[in-house]
Amino acid sequence: MHIPDGYLSPSTCATLYAFAATGWYSALKRIKRMLATRAIPLISVLAAFSFVVMMFNVPLPGGTTGHAVGVTVAAIVLGPWGSILAISIALAIQALFFGDGGITTLGANCFNMAVVGSFVACGVYRLAAARSGIRSRRRVLAAAIAGYVSINAAAFVTALEFGIQPTLFHDGSGTPLYAPYPLHVAVPAMMLGHLTLAGLAEAVISAGMVSYLQRADLGLLGEAGNLATGSAPIPAMVNNGRSLRRLWWAVALLLVCTPIGILAAGTAWGEWSSADLMNAKTRAQIEAASGNHAPPVSVPTGLQKLSTVWTAPFPGYAPRFIKSPAFGYSLSAMFGAGLLVVVSLTARVIGRRPNARNPRP
Amino acid sequence: MTTAYDVADISFAYDGIPAIRGLSLRIERGERVALLGANGSGKSTLLRVLDALCFPPTGSVTFQGNPLTQECFHRDGFSLDFRRQVALVFQNPDVQLFNPTVFDEVAYGPLQLQWEKEELVRRVEATLASMAISHLRDRPPYRLSGGEKKRVALASVLVLDPEVLLLDEPTATLDPKSQSQVIDLIQQWKGTSKTVVTATHQLDIVEDIADRVVVLEAGTVIATGTPSEILSNADLLLRANLIHAHRHSHGPIVHSHPHFHGHSHHEH
Amino acid sequence: MSQHSFIESTLQAFTGAFSKALQSEHTANQPGLLQLLDPRVRVIGMLALVVSVIICRRLDVIAALLLTTVLIAVASRVSLVSLATRVWFVILGFTGLIALPALFLIPGTPVFVLPALRLSVSAQGLRTASLLVLRVETAATLTTLLVLCTPWTHILKALRSLRLPAEVVTMLAMTHRYVFLLIETANQMFESRQSRAVGKLPGSEQRKVTARTAGVLLSKSIELSHEVYLAMLSRGFHGEVYLLNDFRMRLRDYLGLTAFICVGGLAAWMGR
Repeated sequence: MHIPDGYLSPSTCATLYAFAATGWYSALKRIKRMLATRAIPLISVLAAFSFVVMMFNVPLPGGTTGHAVGVTVAAIVLGPWGSILAISIALAIQALFFGDGGITTLGANCFNMAVVGSFVACGVYRLAAARSGIRSRRRVLAAAIAGYVSINAAAFVTALEFGIQPTLFHDGSGTPLYAPYPLHVAVPAMMLGHLTLAGLAEAVISAGMVSYLQRADLGLLGEAGNLATGSAPIPAMVNNGRSLRRLWWAVALLLVCTPIGILAAGTAWGEWSSADLMNAKTRAQIEAASGNHAPPVSVPTGLQKLSTVWTAPFPGYAPRFIKSPAFGYSLSAMFGAGLLVVVSLTARVIGRRPNARNPRP
Repeated sequence: MTTAYDVADISFAYDGIPAIRGLSLRIERGERVALLGANGSGKSTLLRVLDALCFPPTGSVTFQGNPLTQECFHRDGFSLDFRRQVALVFQNPDVQLFNPTVFDEVAYGPLQLQWEKEELVRRVEATLASMAISHLRDRPPYRLSGGEKKRVALASVLVLDPEVLLLDEPTATLDPKSQSQVIDLIQQWKGTSKTVVTATHQLDIVEDIADRVVVLEAGTVIATGTPSEILSNADLLLRANLIHAHRHSHGPIVHSHPHFHGHSHHEH
Repeated sequence: MSQHSFIESTLQAFTGAFSKALQSEHTANQPGLLQLLDPRVRVIGMLALVVSVIICRRLDVIAALLLTTVLIAVASRVSLVSLATRVWFVILGFTGLIALPALFLIPGTPVFVLPALRLSVSAQGLRTASLLVLRVETAATLTTLLVLCTPWTHILKALRSLRLPAEVVTMLAMTHRYVFLLIETANQMFESRQSRAVGKLPGSEQRKVTARTAGVLLSKSIELSHEVYLAMLSRGFHGEVYLLNDFRMRLRDYLGLTAFICVGGLAAWMGR
């Protein structure tokens, strides 16, 4: 699942770096707040651990082997934020020191495996484990499911990134410039390998480790989880903000999927401009889409007047300086989502009560 | 102020398992003390208490008259002073060598104390030379032998010129040559103002490295005295699990006698 | 990969990691072109070239960049044989295989037809496959060169002076340092397991072994992190991270930097 340099276009790389960077920045702040000085050795050693686990050949049912990522274990032990950092660091070392996975695609790899992987793993684990006892078999099963789902979620996002490349980035003659296979080829191709091998490997490692920890070292799994004795509870086990995190993840996923909208041809029903109503060709289209009722012969005066009041900065979802309509589309989506984020964060800050809870490490 | 440490009736437990119970101890400045005890007797924990890495919930610990409590260490001035004055060499060198290269490792302490750069580099180079490891300055820790790691660990604390040296099993797992190098170093400090506390279970080095021996067993002090006093007390050593008793038979007669593996001293 | 050798191949991966590290150390000490430059210039320069490879849309320009990279490799005393085995053949196998179907799947003007299979290769398919393979090869060669010629600590310090936060650099350094310790630990566990094996284990047993090793490794890791934390505190760590910056730019570094930027910029412009 490690994407090498050359498979993704520069703009895709840059966008995914931005997403990943948001994840890193948030994770760093939270971990520092939760763990203060203990964060550095803890995250580092766990990153080293996940790096080594990535090297394991995990024997799978059917006589094959696969490789795990370890993101599920990291997420269970450290919580999603700690896991984002640990896995990202492991991936960075793989890329920078061992040449495994690209440099321009490090942002993408971190987003797919560290960010998406961690949140999905955490979410699924908590959902599946619910309120079961810390020693119950249900937790082991929950870990297996979380492992399987998180790897496949990461693989799916990766496949999406691959799949949109030929549509968005090709030259005049139709040659794809980066990853050459469209969505309907990329998705099944990627998912096949992960639904069968990598997902299982992750499930095996995650379940095996939870089972081992249940017998050997409960502290690492506990709800009141204290990794460093006497310090604040691990981020994972603090439940507030969980739904917010899921929302973030959903938004991020939607952002990635926006270019699919280009595939829908024409204009949505009812969203016609005055220019559309005057053009004979579009009038014919409107009539056909309206159960064969012809649109009014002249543009209604109300529409005419109001349409000059406001000119959007990005008419048609394509900023004028962006040549490719598809890229313009995604850019607008990002911009729009970003604007929403800024507005909501501002509202949150304004509305926050003073003396918010801040556990001392 | 001639007392380095005054430890009064402390107890400490890890996760409910007691490591130290009702321990009292006094260490004077310039003393070389050996903490003698088997594994699990509480030696390492005591060293960590002396280095203010653990704070016992009961009893008191004072260093040069100042109490060592968690609150004191929130004051930056006191904390940094203490860290410079007291140095702990961990038993496992891999724990202590957490920097990318040997040079970085030795420079770590001075960097945390924010020494000026030129002085820092000069002192680091000097320390590397004095420990004969200058040729290792750019090596990463995973490419060092056990003896080299130990010397780097020592260099990394000696660069700060501490007044108190706490050594946790400094000769364990070392080859004979490296062992003698470490022992030589400790012997050099005899008669200086440096206070040295060495935790060990190796009886054969005690005479060389200490003027006073404190015997620990099950988390408390069971005896103190000079090396010759302690080492000649076979019953004590047996009780502290520092020597074992052999049983062997001569025909129908079976007798057991205490026996320890040590090096023999040659009279010159 | 058959199951009875799953320990074997894991052990091989471990050995591979160590040998890569050693090879790096050896090459970094050679008196070559890259080694002469300030690490920051190396990092920025090589990364600039990687970026221009990704931006480029023309096959000939990318090929020229690859040639330039090979020349840099030779000038830096990097063995082309090791590059071939470590990078080129691996990528040819992996990316080559991925790109192969593109020859037939991408629609466009047919270039030639495979009579036996009645599949036609399109010009677009040929071009896209070549672009992909060439890009991946060149970018990978550049990063491998950078890593081979620069000690890890210098890469970190270069990243630091490029404004990466000090805590992140410290974490990267510490992780790298402990990767080798953990590999050794895992190595020992697997080796002792292997020496005790009598015949082939059933699948579930094998999975248990793997999971157990991972579990022990995790426990040891956490314990190690506690101890390292205490060691850090003992030497004066109080939350801030201070690093020693001892890089100075000389004339040749400025020249090198200019050269990199020019080549990269030219390639990006010509290949747009």
